[in-house]
Amino acid sequence: MSVFTIATCGLIYELLAGTIASYLLGDSVTQFSTIIGVYLFAMGVGSYLSRFFQRDLITRFIEIEILVGVIGGISSPVLFFAFGQIDAFRVVLYGWVTATGVLVGLEIPFLIRILEDQFPLRDLVSKVLSLDYLGALAASLLFPLWLVPQVGLMRSSFVFGVLNVLVAVWTCHLFSRQHRRPWLTAQAYVALVLLFVGAVFSDDLMERSERQLYEDPVILSRSSPYQRIVLTQKEGEVRLFLNGDLQFSSLDEYRYHEALVHPGLAAVAAPRRALVLGGGDGMAVREILKDDRVEQITLVDLDPMMTEIFAEHDGFAALNDYALQAPRVELVTADAFIWLEDQAASYDFIVVDFPDPSNYSLGKLYTTTFYQRLAAHLNPGGLLAIQSTSPLVSRQAFWCIVETVRATGLHAAPYHASVPSFGEWGFIVASRAPFRVPERFPDGLRFLTPAVARSLFEFPPDMASVPVEVNHLNNQILVHYHRDGWDQYVRTPLATE
Amino acid sequence: MTRRTPPSTQGTGAPLRPAIAAKAPKTGLTRRDLLRLGPAAAAAVAAGCSPRAPLDSGHVGIGGAIVGASHQTGHRLREGGLPEPRTTRDVGVVILGGGMAGLSAAWKLAKSGFDDFALLELEADAGGNARWGQNEVSAYPWGAHYLPVPPVEAPAVRELLDEMGLVQAYGPDDEPIYDPRHLCHAPQERVFIDGQWREGLSARDLLDPEGTGGVAVLAEFEAQVRAYQNYRDAQGRRAFALPVAESTTAAEILALDDMSMRDYFDRAGWSSERLRWYVDYCCRDDYGCTLETTSAWAGWHYFCSRPINGEYLTWPEGNGRIVRHLMDRVGDHVRAGMLVYRLRSTSGDDNGSSAGVEADVLDTQTDTPVRYRARRAIYALPRFTAGHVIEGYPPSDPGANAFTYCPWMVANLTVDRLPDGAAWDNVLYDSPSLGYVVATHQNLRVTPGPSVLTYYRPLSIPNPEVARAWMLEQRWDDWVSMIFADLAQAHPEIESLVRHIDVMLWGHAMIRPVPGFVWGEARRRAVDPHGAIRFAHSDMSGISLFEEAQYHGVRAAEAVMDDLGHAHQSSL
Repeated sequence: MSVFTIATCGLIYELLAGTIASYLLGDSVTQFSTIIGVYLFAMGVGSYLSRFFQRDLITRFIEIEILVGVIGGISSPVLFFAFGQIDAFRVVLYGWVTATGVLVGLEIPFLIRILEDQFPLRDLVSKVLSLDYLGALAASLLFPLWLVPQVGLMRSSFVFGVLNVLVAVWTCHLFSRQHRRPWLTAQAYVALVLLFVGAVFSDDLMERSERQLYEDPVILSRSSPYQRIVLTQKEGEVRLFLNGDLQFSSLDEYRYHEALVHPGLAAVAAPRRALVLGGGDGMAVREILKDDRVEQITLVDLDPMMTEIFAEHDGFAALNDYALQAPRVELVTADAFIWLEDQAASYDFIVVDFPDPSNYSLGKLYTTTFYQRLAAHLNPGGLLAIQSTSPLVSRQAFWCIVETVRATGLHAAPYHASVPSFGEWGFIVASRAPFRVPERFPDGLRFLTPAVARSLFEFPPDMASVPVEVNHLNNQILVHYHRDGWDQYVRTPLATE
Repeated sequence: MTRRTPPSTQGTGAPLRPAIAAKAPKTGLTRRDLLRLGPAAAAAVAAGCSPRAPLDSGHVGIGGAIVGASHQTGHRLREGGLPEPRTTRDVGVVILGGGMAGLSAAWKLAKSGFDDFALLELEADAGGNARWGQNEVSAYPWGAHYLPVPPVEAPAVRELLDEMGLVQAYGPDDEPIYDPRHLCHAPQERVFIDGQWREGLSARDLLDPEGTGGVAVLAEFEAQVRAYQNYRDAQGRRAFALPVAESTTAAEILALDDMSMRDYFDRAGWSSERLRWYVDYCCRDDYGCTLETTSAWAGWHYFCSRPINGEYLTWPEGNGRIVRHLMDRVGDHVRAGMLVYRLRSTSGDDNGSSAGVEADVLDTQTDTPVRYRARRAIYALPRFTAGHVIEGYPPSDPGANAFTYCPWMVANLTVDRLPDGAAWDNVLYDSPSLGYVVATHQNLRVTPGPSVLTYYRPLSIPNPEVARAWMLEQRWDDWVSMIFADLAQAHPEIESLVRHIDVMLWGHAMIRPVPGFVWGEARRRAVDPHGAIRFAHSDMSGISLFEEAQYHGVRAAEAVMDDLGHAHQSSL
């Protein structure tokens, strides 16, 4: 029974480390393969070291079980915290794997030596090893089928720590007739209680460790049915993250939002009615409000929690100059594609500020069908302004959006701006008539001037147009382009910030 | 019930979600089980002595029932003893059966300005295999769930789709451009294999782990697909056309009908396990038959009758969308709950009237029999019923039992949210099921939400009688356990997502194109009229496809109008 349990626990720790490493570092093949290698090697070291222990093997064995239980049991929380706080995460990771491996490597040789008086060697080796491998099988089945989906990484780690310590407790009792070990037993119970508490509060721990993933102190963190909204703040800089992705930094978001709104808006002859799709943070609305010609702005966002935070929460509404409270602004909570279908109204200026097309459901908002529908809501002489991901990071994705707009019969004028917290970012102005860069902008802009605006429409060779396919609902090629571009970007160290 | 493009044309093969390989045992009846058990054990299984542990506790918190098809009512046909009608209704044409063939016949009559007809349907809703359901989450299919974009040989299908407003424009080559909202959105397909989901369902991706051997076989297979696709006989006919009636009758192609698809593979020396699974899957998907029980002609028809890289039209309610359109046009003529129990072709000599038919029908809502007298009948019911219903049919028996049918179980699972990364069609490698399709796939919403998964399970064992008996023995609990055991391989969390499961049992879901059937005498003569009775059903093509049902419906309607001297323009 002990052999089976410790074998199961041993493999679970290894799988946990592999999974956490893949989860945090990416590239599961490399992570699993190196973790398994290091772990097995450490077990070998443990087996070798077992020869140096000569006296009181039972006590040593119990100590090791407690240690394995504690070290293995807290491995998940330790690794999650380490990732958020320590630069050399890999050192901690492999150190921890080595420590667990060495201790687990000691277990089986000890057991065989403890039991060598009670069974002939032939039976003993056969029994111990077969149970050992059986335990490994149990672990390998339990892990993917039950532990990861049902119990979670954090709690699994504690639960198996508890099992390891229980082996220690059981061994204490089993051999208590020969020798009482009150001190060790007490240790085991303390470890047991701690691990048990860990298992109970592991959900809380998961949340705390999440906070470590953000560089700056988290000042607000909420889950809506649609996304996880996290705001961080440090020395006056506020950052918004949705599902872990940076949406803006208050230090440079004006560059992004001025570039998104004004080249298009200033080019419309009489922009009375404006529509903003996405952009529940209200920054695009703030920019549109700078143009006095606009009489009414409709903001359509999916997530009421976003608009609530940025309309009503004092600290955050200040970031958009209380734009969402302005009388000219109407807030609508709806799914843009569906909302447009039921709308009869048309607009002089439409801002499309959706998250990047990183999955198939977002990708639908970048298709010919979607742009056709938008065009149907555009007044003659009206313009669309579309956020279009980074032409530097994902050149194909950017030009795919350009070509998709053109495939619907609209003129597309691509441009880009540098936003330090994002990098080089791309936009498109789409219109029925060819677009001319405007010569006048509203007062109070910090980034755009007519001369700057003209320069944004020039593309250097590293972002220049590439041949791409058009994005339709039935191919969603853009999602592949986007994924390829960003995957490559993340893998190339030069490009990372 | 999905038809796919040839294997090489799809899929990126990128693993979507690395997972640790996990393989759960199959549950329920598989054809291998029955082959191994032999007839005696199979009968015992059919009699309810199932080896599975009974699940008395049921599935707590999950609603649902076995719904649909009127087995009992239908079986009254076999029992006989139905009364003589006292009331008579006169009508120009009576259409028996409101599946796609009957509805298409009605559509063609109505379109041609011929309004003096009635369509009699047994079930409460017309639509046959394309019936659909609706709940608070979505509409969903109970059977056929998509239509491939039709080739030029199927003008009637094109005419219908244009009429439905699905054609956005016509291209410079006069080819229709379909509204992209109704073309199946990406991601279309994925398959769970080697412990992970792979995007796309392409034999090339599946074969990767087999190394060069499998790939070489695939290259030969694909070369054969291309050769058959490019084939034209002296009259310019394709080897495998849609409708089947447009196919060549050249001996070298028809000879394929004498062997099974498996025989073909054996003779070609194609041993790749995964390619065989793939083709077997396709056969089960379209015909309910396995590699062993599908004729090689039908097998190749699947791969070679449509253009490479074809697209599909699909809707939440599947082909129910087509039914709805047809019902908008002809619903006023449809009488539901009508069991036809006797049909007689009358000669004109009796009392001076012209030749015609008498159809004796039980109105199951009032339990009263009615006699329909008509000048012509279109018999659009599954062909196995003809011997029970039509007096003196078949005239000489060229194999009345040649028409055999695969039973199917279809389940609709209402889920609180979609499993991660769900595509439209989600297939499990080496499962007795065909996986599931997502009813909300064409929804343009970004927000995740509840959905309905339509799960298909053909009972493809060689003896459909045994399968049918076994199927009818299973309780709702049994089906739910089987579905969960199957899906849990890929979705360990499936039970926690499901809130409702309805199950429909189709005793005679699909005609089986077993070797010798498609080009055998019984099938070829099935189109011959019987007195004043014309026939229409996809059974008459030997493969259960919308295009075939529509073809036969339209053809029968045109023949009837020709008989009666009603001017019309052919859709064919």
